Amino acid sequence: MIKLFKVLVIYAIYGLIVGEIIVRAFTLTSDIPQRTITEDHIQKYKPNQTGGWSKGDHKWQVNDRGWVGPLPQSFDNLITIVGDSFIENLMNPDECHQSHFLSQNFPKQNFLEAARSGVTFIESLEITKHLDSLNPKYHLICLNDYNIKESISNIERQPDITQFNTEEGQMIYGRMKAPFAKKILYNWKFVYYLYNRFPLSFNKKETDTTPKISNYDIPYLKINGKEFKALLDYASTNYSIDDKILVLKPTATKGLAELLKSYGYKVLLLDDHGEDWTFGYDAHWNCYGHEEASKQITKFLRTLNL
Amino acid sequence: MLFNSFEFAIFLPVVFILYWFIFKRNFRSQNVLVLIASYFFYGLWDWRFLFLIIASTIVDYFVGIAIDKHSEDKKKQKLWLWTSVVFNISLLGFFKYYNFFVNSFMDMTELFGYTIKSSWTLNIILPVGISFYTFQTMSYSLDIYYKRIKPTKDFLSFATFVAFFPQLVAGPIERASNLLSQITSERKFNYQQTKEGLRLILWGLFKKIVIADSLAPIVDDIFSNYGDYSGSTLILGVTMFSFQVYGDFSGYSDIAIGTSKLFGFELMSNFKFPNFSRNVAEYWQRWHVSLSTWFRHYVYIPLGGSRVSKLLSVRNICVIFLISGFWHGANWTFIFWGAFHAVAYIPVFLMGRNTIYKNSVVAENTWIPNLVEFGQLILTFALVTFSRIFFRSDTLTDSFAFIERIFTNFELKPYEHPLGDNMMTYYILILVFVLYEYLIRRDERNPFKFKHRIVRVAIYTAIVISMFVFYDDDAQRAFIYFQF
Repeated sequence: MIKLFKVLVIYAIYGLIVGEIIVRAFTLTSDIPQRTITEDHIQKYKPNQTGGWSKGDHKWQVNDRGWVGPLPQSFDNLITIVGDSFIENLMNPDECHQSHFLSQNFPKQNFLEAARSGVTFIESLEITKHLDSLNPKYHLICLNDYNIKESISNIERQPDITQFNTEEGQMIYGRMKAPFAKKILYNWKFVYYLYNRFPLSFNKKETDTTPKISNYDIPYLKINGKEFKALLDYASTNYSIDDKILVLKPTATKGLAELLKSYGYKVLLLDDHGEDWTFGYDAHWNCYGHEEASKQITKFLRTLNL
Repeated sequence: MLFNSFEFAIFLPVVFILYWFIFKRNFRSQNVLVLIASYFFYGLWDWRFLFLIIASTIVDYFVGIAIDKHSEDKKKQKLWLWTSVVFNISLLGFFKYYNFFVNSFMDMTELFGYTIKSSWTLNIILPVGISFYTFQTMSYSLDIYYKRIKPTKDFLSFATFVAFFPQLVAGPIERASNLLSQITSERKFNYQQTKEGLRLILWGLFKKIVIADSLAPIVDDIFSNYGDYSGSTLILGVTMFSFQVYGDFSGYSDIAIGTSKLFGFELMSNFKFPNFSRNVAEYWQRWHVSLSTWFRHYVYIPLGGSRVSKLLSVRNICVIFLISGFWHGANWTFIFWGAFHAVAYIPVFLMGRNTIYKNSVVAENTWIPNLVEFGQLILTFALVTFSRIFFRSDTLTDSFAFIERIFTNFELKPYEHPLGDNMMTYYILILVFVLYEYLIRRDERNPFKFKHRIVRVAIYTAIVISMFVFYDDDAQRAFIYFQF
């Protein structure tokens, strides 16, 4: 029996080494930037990291301020673009980011993306507060019903993201979950590959921060209308509204757009006109989707005399 | 629980460790563990049907004792034997064939102008593995009746024999003379046996994941849309199905045999490289051996086998092939499939060539087969593959329409993979698989019989990598023979 275990251990080590070589050689896993939390509870990335995306040839880069993508040339006439993985956009090269498209259409403005995978609506508002020191003209916040639902801890508690408890009127800041294990996992590529490829049923939910298309079919506003309103009531009294432009993804509902407008937000509901803006294998927008979205945002910004 | 599931990857090592470390005191305690593990293994699919296994176990346990008790009274022995046969066939008949008989009866009455309402059919779930364990328990009673074995008084061991998880749901259909005798004796951990078991599991997983599952989308697409494809594509589809069903079922058997070895048991071989058969008779000595020998021992020989007149022997051949077809499923397509094999087998039998390849393999003493052998291989493979049109089609009408289209719409057209993959990958995969199996064709129990360790390790590496490449994350496919 000892001999058996010895042989199994040797084969396991051999397998791990060969697996690591193959996963690295063929870039089978995407690099994931490491996070840090600022004093004002903003989860952003450690500056100046770089890495690759498994389904693309490009490299992503974290700038000096801890956000993915290049920094604008200056912070004058600044407009920030805040959001979740759609704006973070690790899966597309820099020329397919909103800041790139919008800079071309508004050469006098500077655009700064400040986004991170898993950001909720309430965390977006916190990020805008964090960025207010740069005196931006506007904050564009990209969201849909799902991002609002995820903001509310009493609907579903998610310890690693910033949420708001509408029953207790209390902000609950996200914590780094198992940072050491994550560090190992992200650097031990083969194990990370296995972790992604064969998710265990009990951690499936936690690993998968990508909102699935089917999630958009759930009428969150109808189900959680009371909580949505309580959150927006809190937001309207604790954050400025005039400088916020809420860009709703095509998956957002008209009902949400109307509700947000009723609170005084400038709201743009994107329309994909039945086209597929996504990669197909996940719900994120491809380069075409981003370009189309930027055209509609441009049109909207023009109405604000920019 | 599927052999190719994550659950099984956890379940197997846990049971293995418990078996050799915690329950090692004696074989009885090990049997308790194996029985619990087996019921758990089956119960994860649907615990309600465990009662059928338990019922079949209880009936045959007492029938076995009763047959032995009345060894002087042939009439009573027969009565008890029939109790077992009727009980097990009734289980099969109800769960597997009830709707088939009702539908066939309704079709028949329609021929005579009567219409019976279809409310007679029931919404019955087919219990996984019912065809396998009922045949296994019946063989126990039959063997006692034919005085091949003595009944066991140890109910626990007998229950373990019936429910033994590695082969519970899709065989090999074991005989008590082989498996029960091992269950009722001490097992010692044997490194060599465990090593062989692990190798067989690896080889079985390869056949299932890389060969069978990767071909499944192609086969499903061609058989579902056969009306849209040319004859050449239909031939490709059925050829792919031939490899799919072989990879699937022989893969399952290898994993079952390999898993049993981990616990110190030796199961019978179920597949002996049937793709290298030189005639249909040899094919049946190499394909699903545990079932074909079952029919041979318990149907063909009691009917007189080949020791009766040629006419009666031909009748006996027809009977076992028709029953074998029917065993596979409650559908006329399977009966036709069996009939087709009977028609292909009878000329070989009449020419006296049905046993000439029993103890040899193709190219016995050479590297490559001679021209005659090569022709025989191609012809046998073509016949067997052709028969699989019936095996795979949903209805007889589909089978004949499929065949008709092969001949009436034959046109050489390239086929595009339904998921957009490069078809060349799959052609190369099959070619490599066939060549590799040809290399190892002499020993089905040892798929990695190479002298140098470095060669073996290189093959293990290639196999594991190919499993990662071909494993379909979204479609964990059950084994085809689970439906039988």
